[in-house]
Amino acid sequence: MSAADTVTVEAGAPVRGWALPAIAVTLVAGMFGYLHTAHLDSIEARLLATDEILARTVEHVRLVAASTAAVIVIAVPLGVLLTRRRARLLAAPVLALANAGQAIPSIGVLVLLAILFDVGFAMAVIALVAYAALPVLRNTMIGLRQVDRSVIDAGRGMGMSPLQVLLKIELPLAVPVMIAGIRIALILNVGVATLATYTNAGGLGSLIESGIVFNRMPVLMTGSVLTVALALLVDWLAGLTEQVLRPRGL
Amino acid sequence: MTDPTPSTPPPDVMIRLEGLAKRYPGQSADAVSALSMDIRRGEFVVFVGPSGCGKTTTLRMINRLVEPSAGRIWIDGEDVTDVDPDRLRRRIGYVIQQIGLIPHMTVAQNVGLVPRLLGWDKARIRDRVDELLDLVGLDPAVFRDRYPKQLSGGQQQRVGVARALAGDPPVMLMDEPFGAIDPITRDRLQDEFLKLQERIRKTIVFVTHDIDEALKLGDRIAIFGEGSRLAQFATPLEILSAPADDYVRSFVGSGAAIRRLGLLRVADIPGGGTPPSDGAVRVTEDHTVYAALEKMLESGTDRMVVGGNGRGERSLTLRDLLLAAARAKGEPR
Ligand SMILES: Nc1ncnc2c1ncn2[C@@H]1O[C@H](COP(=O)(O)OP(=O)(O)OP(=O)(O)O)[C@@H](O)[C@H]1O
Ligand SMILES: [Mg+2]
Repeated sequence: MSAADTVTVEAGAPVRGWALPAIAVTLVAGMFGYLHTAHLDSIEARLLATDEILARTVEHVRLVAASTAAVIVIAVPLGVLLTRRRARLLAAPVLALANAGQAIPSIGVLVLLAILFDVGFAMAVIALVAYAALPVLRNTMIGLRQVDRSVIDAGRGMGMSPLQVLLKIELPLAVPVMIAGIRIALILNVGVATLATYTNAGGLGSLIESGIVFNRMPVLMTGSVLTVALALLVDWLAGLTEQVLRPRGL
Repeated sequence: MTDPTPSTPPPDVMIRLEGLAKRYPGQSADAVSALSMDIRRGEFVVFVGPSGCGKTTTLRMINRLVEPSAGRIWIDGEDVTDVDPDRLRRRIGYVIQQIGLIPHMTVAQNVGLVPRLLGWDKARIRDRVDELLDLVGLDPAVFRDRYPKQLSGGQQQRVGVARALAGDPPVMLMDEPFGAIDPITRDRLQDEFLKLQERIRKTIVFVTHDIDEALKLGDRIAIFGEGSRLAQFATPLEILSAPADDYVRSFVGSGAAIRRLGLLRVADIPGGGTPPSDGAVRVTEDHTVYAALEKMLESGTDRMVVGGNGRGERSLTLRDLLLAAARAKGEPR
């Protein structure tokens, strides 16, 4: 395995109990508590109306969900294809390219796409996908490659077809590492989706942006705190999923 | 085949390799070259040879996990050099060198894999799994729902053997199946496997590094040199009594005459007088000459009384044993 492959989140990090959701809930509760008691001016009151906050949060979750789903649909099959024997020679260049892509700042990707094409939800999703595809692709490839050769060999030796070996042996054994990659993509997306406001796609980023533009600290803080809480919750849920999907016997 | 070619093997030949060769891509030398041999139906053939001589490669050409560069393979009278490999492999049991149990499947799922591929119904698979676990000495009630990592190395190897037997294949390929086991367990597994083979009579190709394992298990032994040169292909007794060349002699190592005693049975020794009453040791016709000799030496006597196997009792002397052992040159055991 090349050096580029070694940068990966360890598969199957244990879910740290209820700490993550507890912190997230505390953050959100504390924030609303503050908003309730603090004296808000008219701009703040308008931007921080409960409906507004809810709408921004829903937009954010939609962005993250759509882009992560698209990432999985694109990067997992690609990773499977690139680890087939016939594509062996392609694997290294594709990974190198993807790594280079990762080095481009996400705001750059977003603005570039917005300038070249259009603004809006679809464009934001495309940018998020371009950005988060790499960890999923890489972990899919690593997950499949680390499957013990002798197990694959045994499957082939018993007369399983290549497809049966892929579905019944390789993918189940790669699941923990693949989910670790998807988890990284999710967290990345929660963060990067705050930049979607620059393509007019809304989300919690528009709270942050408005906070900066109008110089309103409570607005900026609300956007930030909600983003952090969302990231914590998403990470916790991903960890749970990982535990459920991890095959028994490993 | 409807149009038998001149080289179609006779019916008692289960596996025929003809001019089989393999050169891996990018290699300058053949891993296996021009190998020809016939393996008879129900025969237990053991491949021995130094590391890298092409034993695994040859085995994997028989089930086409490695495609031969040249030559042909017949199994059960059929030229299988070009048939669909997946279907072929379901008819050939394969125990791979590294065991290769599938870690996220239970023992029962591992053993039931080939029957599932063959489309058996659930009840039949379950019965077969239990039968096989019994056969290899693992209590199904205890082991069927365990995962491979919950087994010891020896138990894993038994499951590997059970799994290879599951589809009741006429041919078994076994690549160092008892390799990673301590000598005592290994010895017991070998004994159990010999007993098992007496019942199931498969055609077995068995790979090992260990010449003593080969001598103990094989009906015939193929001793390979470098580049899969077939140095000798003969019965254990022939190999010990008449090694084909210096290579075989050095491979078998010292003590060939003594090891031969371990291949002869008391039943193979003719003659014997009426049993005396004084302190002779008692053995059965099934004892190896080696074991009988050991008993005599232990009790410091030069006589033994042979009983059992319905032949009535007879007595043999130390001298009878030694003469018989010296005379036994290359007779099948
Ligand atoms: N996939 C491969 N590609 C290239 N060379 C190979 C491959 N597999 C085996 N070889 C080479 O072919 C030769 C025979 O290998 P093989 O595995 O058949 O030996 P072996 O007799 O089974 O050895 P061992 O007793 O160590 O298992 C060796 O020189 C090995 O390096
Ligand atoms: Mg080998």
